Amino acid sequence: MHEVTVAAGILDAVRAEVAAQKPARAIKVGVRIGQMAGIDPESLAFCFEALVKGTDVEPLELEIERGSADELEFCYLELEPT
Amino acid sequence: MNRVAMEGKVLNVNDRAAAELRADFARHGVFAVNLIGSPGSGKTALLERTLESYDPARRAAVLTGDIQTDADAARLARYGFPVRQITTAGACHLDARMVRRALEGWDLSTIDLLFIENVGNLVCPTSYDLGEAHKIVLLSVTEGEEKPLKYPGIFFKADLLAITKVDLLPYVPFQVHVAEANARRIHPDIDIVRVSSTSKTGLDRWLEWIARRAPAVPAL
Repeated sequence: MHEVTVAAGILDAVRAEVAAQKPARAIKVGVRIGQMAGIDPESLAFCFEALVKGTDVEPLELEIERGSADELEFCYLELEPT
Repeated sequence: MNRVAMEGKVLNVNDRAAAELRADFARHGVFAVNLIGSPGSGKTALLERTLESYDPARRAAVLTGDIQTDADAARLARYGFPVRQITTAGACHLDARMVRRALEGWDLSTIDLLFIENVGNLVCPTSYDLGEAHKIVLLSVTEGEEKPLKYPGIFFKADLLAITKVDLLPYVPFQVHVAEANARRIHPDIDIVRVSSTSKTGLDRWLEWIARRAPAVPAL
């Protein structure tokens, strides 16, 4: 249920990183989620897609890697110059 | 295309607010616990029995979270300790910013022990640090002993499992030792107390768990 908040948090961080790396646009963001983090990856992917749609960051891909324990961390951001 | 490393937690906005809360709690000597359990697992009832047992001089306070209504705050206010309701208006969990807002205007130096009763939910509150010293998970005997395996996140993060409503054990098929073994499969070191807010069974062990960690008398 709270995956939408998590997805919004990811997008906020992506926007901040893009602003710092300017001129660039984000293509893909990677996060690592442990089994104990209380996050359903499928639900997160769904919320993420819904939040990206029709906004400045579209298209943007989310890659979810299985992490350990309660990890809920960023891994990387792929950018291309604009 | 280039790939840059991104570090940090996804919920870093919440984590920053939680770190500020934790620092405030430390500065003012507030011992805070975050109670998490399903709707109807007995969080409010356990807090009622807890407040009822406390000396009025004890500097305890409660923040209670719900999606709607201030019914829980009204129940808890009867015991004479400061209580505030947080209504999340739909959100399935409390986050650190809600707690910060709810604490505004409270002099933290007058509080030694703060109970934060989260929104009834075994999943979402797990991910949100509220600056607490401990997360405590409640599991009532009417819920089923497999819950720790189905909802491992909170059992992994909680330091104490309170198995509630144990007065109902004769009437339900719940096997306490199976529930406890399941919780320990997820979190081998988790402390466990068995309590009933109705018969008051085990209440002493619960109170002792809190008392060992929080000062019973006002700090000088």
